[in-house]
Amino acid sequence: MNARDWALITFTILVQMSVGSIWVLGVAHFLATRKYGAEEADRLSDRALLALVPVIALGFIASLLHLGNPFNAYRAVTNLGSSWLSREIFFGVIFAVLAFVFALLQWRKIGPTILRTVIAWLAALDGLVLVFSMSNVYMLQAQPAWNSWATPVSFFATTFLLGALAMGAAFVANYAYLQRKKADCAEAQCTLMRGTLRWIAVAAVVLVGLELVVLPIYLASVAGGSAAGLASVKLLTGLFGWLLVLRVILAFVGAGVFAIFLYQNAMSAGHEKMLGNLAYAAFVIVLVAEVLGRVLFYAAHVRIGI
Amino acid sequence: MANQKAFYFDASSCIGCKACQNACKDKYDLPLGVRWRRVFEYGGGNWLYIDGVETPNNVFKYFVSTACQHCANPVCRDVCPAAAITKRADGIVLIDPDKCIGCRYCQWACPYGAPQFNEETKVMTKCTFCSDLQDQGLKPACVDACVMRCLDIGDYEDLRNKYGSVVGIEPLPTGNITHPSLVITPHKHAEPSGQGTGSILSLPEEV
Repeated sequence: MNARDWALITFTILVQMSVGSIWVLGVAHFLATRKYGAEEADRLSDRALLALVPVIALGFIASLLHLGNPFNAYRAVTNLGSSWLSREIFFGVIFAVLAFVFALLQWRKIGPTILRTVIAWLAALDGLVLVFSMSNVYMLQAQPAWNSWATPVSFFATTFLLGALAMGAAFVANYAYLQRKKADCAEAQCTLMRGTLRWIAVAAVVLVGLELVVLPIYLASVAGGSAAGLASVKLLTGLFGWLLVLRVILAFVGAGVFAIFLYQNAMSAGHEKMLGNLAYAAFVIVLVAEVLGRVLFYAAHVRIGI
Repeated sequence: MANQKAFYFDASSCIGCKACQNACKDKYDLPLGVRWRRVFEYGGGNWLYIDGVETPNNVFKYFVSTACQHCANPVCRDVCPAAAITKRADGIVLIDPDKCIGCRYCQWACPYGAPQFNEETKVMTKCTFCSDLQDQGLKPACVDACVMRCLDIGDYEDLRNKYGSVVGIEPLPTGNITHPSLVITPHKHAEPSGQGTGSILSLPEEV
């Protein structure tokens, strides 16, 4: 692992997490509005939305660090016709701009609700195109370990898994903040937070299940595909085997075991403190698991040829 | 492409002296680690222990000199986000160092390992087919340096008509990904790409 790989790991993980977060915030806000009205829904999600701004910014700054000549970085969108890397940067910049504008308008309540809703939708939809483009960047014919259906599947799984658990952590932090401020909205917010966390827990269990099912099928298909593919799988199961095992265990613990505890503690009121600790722990554990997964992604690709 | 310049390599007579590699490195004053032309040593086979004597069993090796293949389908050009790689009318593929952002994406895409990062200039570089010499009607430095006369250049179609259509011998990849502008006369022990029983014997630092 060199500095360049870490730049790409940081960029892809943070941007994917942000795309997933926008979707989780959108769904949570939509459901909260239907139940408690726009004001309570804003109270649930506005601070979490604002927290995304530095995350996205950090992701894009990291992406510049893997360039030999960052002063030419503006040129990275000049081959949209055939380069998925150009498309990734193009949709990435659009995502960042839309997300920043939306966060600003929503924070200061500038403009009509419908305008903000449209911008949020555009950011969320562009985010999906962005993650799709990111997957295609790696689906190069000369890279059998990347040129697999598992690349988009695992990128989207990371997107929504990290998005869900990051926002779970943001919601409990938001609730703790509201309680400290002695806001008069405690009961509605408590119910909203618990309801949202239950859905987040369910999503985490489903997504980690998907990841665990995909992994062996992926390894088998890449190993059987080509000599370079087999070399990649040998790296993943041999030299880096301990990392792969650690990554699977952490994902299972964070998004499986902790998510089930999270669900149970969110069933009834009175466990908010426990709920908070569980949400933070689940997020941190799964973040480490996903970073390890991405480390392996960049460490174990073997190119066809010389 | 009607007009496509191509390399010809005669693996049956290459002795692995690396004069081509060094001529290239010298002409372009390439820094440590950057080798636009590389000579691979590929070999295999084993030894049998019979009646207390080690006996060679199908032991073979041969050399493959390789550079940028100036492919008909240059994936490096297609994937470059900065549109820094272009293919000239005569088929030569070139990187514009002023446009390159140094992301090294082409390095991931090219199965010939042709685009290489120059740590001094911080941009990607690769074999230019000595386009400067070719524009004056001269041959590339590697071709002129070859003591065994096993490297040459020519029109791709002419070379194919003359020497056949082999492009995929180990350790090179099959030609399916990029359709290289390359014509090879295989060594008698050459193994087809992807079906090799041997391995690259060169030290990693050499290639």
